[in-house]
Amino acid sequence: MAPHNRSGRRLAGALLALLLAAGCTSGGRSEPPGQATGTTAAPGPAQPLHVRLVATAQVPPGGPSARRAAQQAAPGLERFLGRYLTVAFVDAAGGEARWDGLLGLFDQPVRAAARKQLDALSLGAAAPGVSAVRPHQASARAVVLYGSRRPAAATVRLAFDATADTAQGSGQVHLRSVLQLLATGDGWRIAAFDSRTGPPK
Amino acid sequence: MTRATPPARRGLAWITALGLVAALAAGLVVASQPRRPATAQEAPAVTVQKAHAGSATPAVKRRIVLLTIGSDSGAPKFGRGGAMESGRADALQLVVLDTVRRRGAVVSFPRDSYVPIPGHGTNKINAAMAFGGPPLLVATFEQLTGLTIDYYALTSFDGLTDIVNKVGKVTVNVDMNLRDRFAGAFLDKGRRNLSGSQALAYARARKTLPGGDFDRSRHQGQLLLGGLATFQRQVAEDPAKVMTWLGVLRDEVKTDVPFPELLRLALLATKVPPANIRNVPVPSVAGSAGGASVVRLLPGAYALFGRLRAGQLG
Repeated sequence: MAPHNRSGRRLAGALLALLLAAGCTSGGRSEPPGQATGTTAAPGPAQPLHVRLVATAQVPPGGPSARRAAQQAAPGLERFLGRYLTVAFVDAAGGEARWDGLLGLFDQPVRAAARKQLDALSLGAAAPGVSAVRPHQASARAVVLYGSRRPAAATVRLAFDATADTAQGSGQVHLRSVLQLLATGDGWRIAAFDSRTGPPK
Repeated sequence: MTRATPPARRGLAWITALGLVAALAAGLVVASQPRRPATAQEAPAVTVQKAHAGSATPAVKRRIVLLTIGSDSGAPKFGRGGAMESGRADALQLVVLDTVRRRGAVVSFPRDSYVPIPGHGTNKINAAMAFGGPPLLVATFEQLTGLTIDYYALTSFDGLTDIVNKVGKVTVNVDMNLRDRFAGAFLDKGRRNLSGSQALAYARARKTLPGGDFDRSRHQGQLLLGGLATFQRQVAEDPAKVMTWLGVLRDEVKTDVPFPELLRLALLATKVPPANIRNVPVPSVAGSAGGASVVRLLPGAYALFGRLRAGQLG
């Protein structure tokens, strides 16, 4: 009967392991992505922030085709928007930034207003409590106005979703903005904005 | 030597095994239940950001004075040849904007206003542009009003028609029934969405109007304010319409406003209520000079210029 006894013990052990596994499964929490994990997730490796951009262009008579103009403007806009999201959210984690880098992306006549409304444009006051920001998606739609041969201005609808890690756990970060952009010699500046952060409506 | 397992111990082993199987089955049933989303009690979400909303347009902290000019030339569709800037200025509005208080005035000048033109004696104001282009017209206005004109914006019959058609009509409160076959204006009083040709007709109608050139000047101011209201309504629905309007202006208007300033002013204009902008015909009266009919400015006109210089736009 010893084989029976050994096999019974093995069976009991296997059942116990299964039971524990089943118990763990049933007791695990189902959480929406990006919401509380209960523990602080270790910051993952920094991911390159790429903004998925769909652009159209309004061109003058005799200028480049709208399609070609949009293609020509897109890389510069993507770089600018990626930089904006990086300084406003990813690099802002930890709260040591004084926002000078972010405010430098704004046209001078709107810079003071931007400084007063950082919470609607970036991590803002939450930044000191955030150890890392992990982007999920960044997308934009742009209408680019051409001058004679070059982009002169653009309207951009920007959407950004990310997970931010804090000492209490992780939470979602969202940005939905309409940015009116002015082309400068070396890129773009934000000339006006209508922006909100926080939970989606 | 093999030892037989006592019946009691064998029974205990089976009971244990059965208990484990039952417990496992129960566990599997629990595990197979649809998962409920974590509630706030189970897993309080970490609030990283509270909801914040903000917006801003450029803070252009000064008075802006813009001269809008409608030329009678440079409109091939209407059989008006030549260059816009060497024609006569038949529609003249001085737009004074207080960017801080977001108030303003549109001062409409009859084209026959008889005024001094630098270097050209006294003549009808619309001749100034024919004599020396927009710069001389600007100089004439600066001498007349004592205001520094920051910029001008010049268009033609074709330009006005195309602007309105391209932006998709402008809404204007037509203030009288119009049956003016000379200008092609056939409009009923009330709030109307005017096409390009209707807008031009409303801006040109004069001969059958009781106030003649005075009514025409007022209508031109109404058209400007109707355009502002239409612009604001469209941008509120779709912010990218700013680019549409700027594109239309790029193609149809000649101006000395640098583009960055034009964009800032357009964005600022989205926040200036049209009701805060008065449409003021310059006080004047019909007269004659050398056998020609002209319009003479009244003392009230100079008082108005003084108030504008002092920033009194109310």
